[in-house]
Amino acid sequence: MEFLGEVLGEAIRYVADFGPELREILALTLVVAGVATLIGVALGVPIGVWLGLTRFRGRGLMLAIVNTGMGIPPVLAGLLLLVLLWNDGVLGSWEALFTPGAMIAAQALLALPIAAGVSAGAVRNLSGDAREQLAALDVSHVKRGWIAGREAWPGVAAAVAAAFGRVIAEVGAVLIVGGNIEGETRVLTTAIVQEARQSNLGAALGLGIVLLLVALVVNVALTWAQLRGEARA
Amino acid sequence: MRDAVALDLGGLSWSIGDTQILAVGELQLMAGERLVIFGPNGAGKSTLLRLVAGLIGQRSAPDASYLPQRPYMFRGSGRRNLLLGLRPEETNRAEVLAKRLGVSNVLGTPAGQLSGGERQRLALARSLASLRPIVLLDEPLAAIDARDRDAVVAVIGDAIGQRAAVVVTHDKDVAVAFADRVAVMVQGRVRQVGPPQHVFLEPGTAEVAAVVGHHNVLVGTVVRSEPPLVQVSCGGLMVWALGEQAAGSEVRVVFGADAVTLHSVVTGPADGGVDSARNHWLGAVTAISEVGRLIEVIVDVGQPVAAMITAGSMAGMGIQLDDKMALSLKATAARAVTAAKQ
Repeated sequence: MEFLGEVLGEAIRYVADFGPELREILALTLVVAGVATLIGVALGVPIGVWLGLTRFRGRGLMLAIVNTGMGIPPVLAGLLLLVLLWNDGVLGSWEALFTPGAMIAAQALLALPIAAGVSAGAVRNLSGDAREQLAALDVSHVKRGWIAGREAWPGVAAAVAAAFGRVIAEVGAVLIVGGNIEGETRVLTTAIVQEARQSNLGAALGLGIVLLLVALVVNVALTWAQLRGEARA
Repeated sequence: MRDAVALDLGGLSWSIGDTQILAVGELQLMAGERLVIFGPNGAGKSTLLRLVAGLIGQRSAPDASYLPQRPYMFRGSGRRNLLLGLRPEETNRAEVLAKRLGVSNVLGTPAGQLSGGERQRLALARSLASLRPIVLLDEPLAAIDARDRDAVVAVIGDAIGQRAAVVVTHDKDVAVAFADRVAVMVQGRVRQVGPPQHVFLEPGTAEVAAVVGHHNVLVGTVVRSEPPLVQVSCGGLMVWALGEQAAGSEVRVVFGADAVTLHSVVTGPADGGVDSARNHWLGAVTAISEVGRLIEVIVDVGQPVAAMITAGSMAGMGIQLDDKMALSLKATAARAVTAAKQ
């Protein structure tokens, strides 16, 4: 018990201090996860709405691919990008390896199938009456998708929350393509690994608390937006 | 142009698994025509309209506006729903129609708070505001109160204008109000097509008769309005019926053949009447036919009018072709339905 109390005390002091190192890690985490989520959602939600709304040959296969993508291990996504961005790789000339850009790309890759899969499910769950009315409207395909996505808003908000939740919590992909370089590519999760490995349990736990707080704030905001959407329905 | 085909419904079919649940033989919607698909619930009317609209099946969608049976309101205000998918030149028309249909006061209300009737009217205003050349309406009066029906029928009729329309309904009065022609649908098949006066009076088969019954449908103009009754001139035959239309309104008078009483001219209350019925007509029997266990007698009173009697009455009165008969009909047994085409 004494040991636990000690670690907890250290963790709280670490968070309360809010030193330059923590601030830097937190800022990079928010930027990387935020931008990756935005990219994943911007590409994934339209794909999901399209998959949820239209019937075509190969749709089942595409849905299966998306669903598989939702469960892809982050280390695998990181590894894939690592191979591409390696000096001799296809995208080696970009010299993007071990930069925040590579980390954003890796996490966007993880966010996209989640955003697509969850929003496809939300649109598929629209009632038969809603789908028939949608089909009968004299609007462009893009507008129809927009109306469908808006109608399925609580589900689409859940897609955003799920995508952000996945990228903020993952460590494998950013570790592989970012390298966890202090002051350059270190984010909350990789910093936790680093501190834990060096037996700085207080700092590691402090970083964990910050990670939880970030997830909490974002999810509270998204839940609020979701409920507001439900109330307006 | 009247003879041009606006839309070919022939050959449309729909299957669930290996079972064909709907198949249409030859059926065409002519330019400017109002075709009513009439039948009981479950006959496949809505499925047929969805096929026509191109929402299901292989045919491409015609240039048509479509009102689903259960109109859906999307998130947002009544106005957003009213104007959804309309072109700029149609928005003003939509506002006017919303006003005529009595829903201009709910345009600011969130769609989720609208009543069933308000949703129906908004959806009607939206689909009627569209200027596409063909109008497809599935049960357009479904959620409309009985007392507002005539007014809504008139608005719909005006808005359709000279365009071709297909209206699906299970309601006889709605069918009579809209139809240039009625197509009777039973169990996924169109069993009879013709003008409502003909289809409702002389169903071609027992199957159709079971659906439509035997009804006299007379087309005429209101000459006197004494609510709750109107007097209608139907090609010279004067008929009193329930109705509140103003004089000059074009109406269709509907009454069941079983509501008509036959009297021998020698014994019955001849023209002038000593009973409570408001309608008394004289004419000669032109046709006698068996309909199941009943007898249908057609008497030409200026218009052919059908009366349904039992075989016992028939034998007792000894009715023969060309016999002179007096007919009576209570005004309350006849309804004057506003014709959608004025």
